Amino acid sequence: MIEIILILLAPFVGGLLYGFERIVRARMQNRQGPPLLQPFYDMFKLMDKQALMIHPYHTLLGILHFLTLWIVVALVICGANLLYIVFLHLFSSLLLVVAGYSVRSIYSHLGANRELLSIVAYEPLLIALSVAFFILYGSFDIEVIRENKSALLELFPLFLAFLLLLPIKLKKSPFDAAEAHQEIVGGVEIEYSGIFFEFLYMAKWLEYIFVYLLLFLFAGDSLLMASILGVIVFLGINLVDNATARVRIDHLLAIVMGIGLTLAVLNLIGLSYV
Amino acid sequence: MFKKFRKKSPWILHYNAGSCNGCDIEILACLSPKYDLERFGVINTGNPKQSDIFLVTGPVTMRSRERLVELYTQMPEPKVVIAVGSCTCTGGVFRDMYNVEDGIDRYIPVDVYIPGCAASPELIIDGVVKALDILEKKTKEREKPFRLFKDFTLKDGIVSRRESALRIGDDDAKD
Ligand code: SF4
Repeated sequence: MIEIILILLAPFVGGLLYGFERIVRARMQNRQGPPLLQPFYDMFKLMDKQALMIHPYHTLLGILHFLTLWIVVALVICGANLLYIVFLHLFSSLLLVVAGYSVRSIYSHLGANRELLSIVAYEPLLIALSVAFFILYGSFDIEVIRENKSALLELFPLFLAFLLLLPIKLKKSPFDAAEAHQEIVGGVEIEYSGIFFEFLYMAKWLEYIFVYLLLFLFAGDSLLMASILGVIVFLGINLVDNATARVRIDHLLAIVMGIGLTLAVLNLIGLSYV
Repeated sequence: MFKKFRKKSPWILHYNAGSCNGCDIEILACLSPKYDLERFGVINTGNPKQSDIFLVTGPVTMRSRERLVELYTQMPEPKVVIAVGSCTCTGGVFRDMYNVEDGIDRYIPVDVYIPGCAASPELIIDGVVKALDILEKKTKEREKPFRLFKDFTLKDGIVSRRESALRIGDDDAKD
């Protein structure tokens, strides 16, 4: 029962989180920032706008991206198989990439290229994460992970690698080259407007929920630790976002593949042989 | 039903139609910590398809006018146009020069004029707030630019730049 309520509420919680984050970011810059409900105001405004459609499949792919992401979040909440979830999430990102390639705007193509490259960068980390949990507990099920106590110490290098992955998924600098609001005008989002952009906007909120739920896996069964991790990571990410500039996509690939993958592989080797 | 939310989340598209950059700097100053336009929910999007307010600076040079009209036609309704700076309203210091058109209202309908060379951030904020009142009253009927660059008979009045480009510098038009 509680799961169903959580699943239905997920986009709204994501929206609140997004609004709260905008306030935190503004306060860090010594500004007042928008109201907490700003994402929902944006949402209602977008519903009221005239919607321009490029072609039906493009819009459909955007909506499907949102729906599959919602299913991913639902599966995480229900405690399903982590490996399935990682691949379903990959599928959901790929839908957006295909949508990006399906229109003629060069910015959309550029955005889709960069999105693909960043998927190449972070996907091995997610898989390494599930494999590490499998080595520890002998099961990919999130339910099992949640029943055991925190594995943060055993998985510390992977946790560091996961921190590298966060800004990519949340579209934060230094790793937001895929979306790059100034240079390529939002990349794949560029051709969406009105209520159809709405779905991508909400998908972004779901992405927040997904990433933080994955983060909570490191805390195991301890709620206290999950909240501490959540708060620290939340503040840290925003601080880094405010303090750094965007890196180029090839540097992103080099950094995340170089540092993140090394850490992840070392951790896996350590887990299986030590 | 959702009309009152228009006021709460205006997304801005900023276009420089050949200005001296004085007014652009003032617009950026509005978004900076001191004036903080974001507290009204303003985002500087840079994508015409997702924005509500078109902030234009500059007197419309010959080079920039097709882009101006094109950006304007790409914005979905309802939308408002704000002319920031004297040169955008009337031509200002550039008036009657050979390479500029005097003001953007020769090409697209303007809702709010903000005078000043350069317009101060306070004035720009006042102008944006004024524009929000206008935005709330607008209907979703399609507004058209006054002039386009082709003798079109197209119903929606939208034409791609590639088709119209040859027509612009009349002398060396190739067709
Ligand atoms: S109004 Fe003055 S300061 Fe502003 S863009 Fe025009 S010339 Fe520059």
